[in-house]
Amino acid sequence: MPVEHRAPETTVSYAFEPVDTTRRTVGILGITLQDLRFRARQFLIAVIGAGLVFAMGLLLSGMVAGLGNEIAQTVGAARADSWVLSTGASGRVDALSTMPSSTVSAVAREPGVVRAQPIIVVPEATRVGTVTDSVVLIGGRSEGLGTTVLTAGRGVRGNGDAVVDARLGLGVGGHFTVAGLTFRVVGTVAGKTLLGGQPDAYVTLHDAQAVLYGGRPLIGAVITSGTPRRLPPGLSAYSNQQIETASLDQMAPVVSSISNSRAFMWVIAVFIVAALVYVTALERTRDFAVLKALGASSAMLFAGLVVQAVLVSLAAAAMAALIANLMKGLFAQPVDIPTSAFVVLPVTALVVGIIASLAALRRAVSADPAIAFAG
Amino acid sequence: MTGHVRAELEVRDLTVEFPSGGYVVRPLSGLSFNADDGELVVVLGPSGCGKTTLLSCLAGLLTPTSGSISFRHNDVGNLTGPALGEYRRYTVGVVFQAFNLIRSLSARANVMAPLRLARLPYKAAAQRADDLLEVVGLSDRAGHRPGQLSGGQQQRVAIARALAHDPPLVVADEPTAHLDYIQVEGVLRLLRQLSVPGRMVLVSTHDDRITNIADRVIELAPHFAAADRAPEEVSLADGEILFEQGDRGDLVYLVNEGEVEIYRVRADGAEEGLAVIGVGNYFGELGPILNLPRSAYARAKGACRLTGYTVRAFRQRFPGTGVAANPAAGSPL
Repeated sequence: MPVEHRAPETTVSYAFEPVDTTRRTVGILGITLQDLRFRARQFLIAVIGAGLVFAMGLLLSGMVAGLGNEIAQTVGAARADSWVLSTGASGRVDALSTMPSSTVSAVAREPGVVRAQPIIVVPEATRVGTVTDSVVLIGGRSEGLGTTVLTAGRGVRGNGDAVVDARLGLGVGGHFTVAGLTFRVVGTVAGKTLLGGQPDAYVTLHDAQAVLYGGRPLIGAVITSGTPRRLPPGLSAYSNQQIETASLDQMAPVVSSISNSRAFMWVIAVFIVAALVYVTALERTRDFAVLKALGASSAMLFAGLVVQAVLVSLAAAAMAALIANLMKGLFAQPVDIPTSAFVVLPVTALVVGIIASLAALRRAVSADPAIAFAG
Repeated sequence: MTGHVRAELEVRDLTVEFPSGGYVVRPLSGLSFNADDGELVVVLGPSGCGKTTLLSCLAGLLTPTSGSISFRHNDVGNLTGPALGEYRRYTVGVVFQAFNLIRSLSARANVMAPLRLARLPYKAAAQRADDLLEVVGLSDRAGHRPGQLSGGQQQRVAIARALAHDPPLVVADEPTAHLDYIQVEGVLRLLRQLSVPGRMVLVSTHDDRITNIADRVIELAPHFAAADRAPEEVSLADGEILFEQGDRGDLVYLVNEGEVEIYRVRADGAEEGLAVIGVGNYFGELGPILNLPRSAYARAKGACRLTGYTVRAFRQRFPGTGVAANPAAGSPL
């Protein structure tokens, strides 16, 4: 039996403007951003976690690039057009070949050769004070091919002089010893290393021969300006590119390991962002149900999750760029993060975000609006 | 004039079944009622009687197994796709028992949510939300998140949200369940005020005090325990079913002759035997006592003869008997 009730004294009416459906305003975006702000601490943790992993990925990219760049820098510093080695030599700049010094004049006479000079490149152990280190000793003629642009001091003028890369940690006036010979640093260069950060040390041909060949008149290669059109028997010419490629080939296992580690880093980043998005989706199951009851579609909810994941990934990428730039100087080997990596990173972050949000797709799609009624 | 004037809301033979815990449950069985525009309708009943199920159907969130719901001449049960979305969005506003405000959103943003999801421009949505918050007396709390509001304030925000699209039907599921009496008064006053021509408000509750402000009361579970009538003699042929799982009934049965098997039907259709009740034993007492639907089937195993007693008559006839005294029954029915 219906209960009689007096009509309420106050009535409420609502004049409501019609919905302007021509505006493509996506309401879920505002809800998503406010949720992001509400869970700021949670998202910050994910940004830091993914950011550190992204930074490691960037640094690993820089290491791979650094391995190639240092070879190109050292080879380029020789200012040669071609490298003449014994036929059958590997072509690696750190393992040239052995030939008599007289080869230089023989090569110089060949057509196409404007200038020919000897060079010796050899990785050696060194002592700097009481510390044992490694250098790549490069012996050549003073002021000729095989020398390089200085950042401080002067070039090599006589025996006992050395121009070294800054990574050796010595300034002008410093001393180091190689195979019993003591060298005085007269000048420094930058970015000239080989074999993953071993500093180059430019010395006289005489000193290099003393270290490597016990003073015998042997050399590692002849470098030329002008490209020889013919060579004496037993000799072959290599371009700078061939030398660089052969030198990098020996680093292939290292490059492969670093590249794999980098790929692994992206996977970890996906998991970190995915874990966050999934946990958030679990926490928001009821919100999803309510939003569906209020008119949101599964696609809208999923779009919100994607936006959250992508924003987290992009924030992590921005943080990674900052961290990687700050940290790259801390590594012993050269880390040259290519500019392209900073372009690829946000794109990768975008993909990471989208993949990560798939983890919560089912939550958004399966959210039953009737759940909202549960007490 | 010929023919009758059709009511604003017509519910006919509404039955809802769904699997739960491996069994098929039927919270609503053949429910019918009407309600008119401008009414405050109270759906009354204890927990588990199907109030929330009814509201879910009215809100277009649950499709009934059979029967029909007609609101303003729209067959709600048959709406699908965009039409269902439109109905949920613009025709019905829902106030949930647990408020269900989005924790991360301010009161204003919660009220704006359905408007923004309907792509109303931000400024218009914010203005509308502010107007509604003023109506529910929460203008000064618009910037607060749910965690910073009392239960009553949260429920008023939820009511404002339900009114966002100015729907002609507002359903409120136990809107006072989590509130103290001061907050209850504010929420009920508001719901009463909202029941004006152009809008019907339907409130579910287990608290019969709310019926005092209702225009119409729908009782989902009649009080069998208080009812009384003469014992009923029942004869069943072999295999004949006395009652089904999900049925409502007011009688406790004593077996005089033959046997009755008690069984449940699982969601996959398989039968699960619970007990066989022999001469001198009784079954089916819990349903009538607790106003719950029967939780199992009762079927004659061979020809049998039973006597059905109301709860009161059963207690008078067999003083000292009760739930615990009847282990043979095997299950609460």
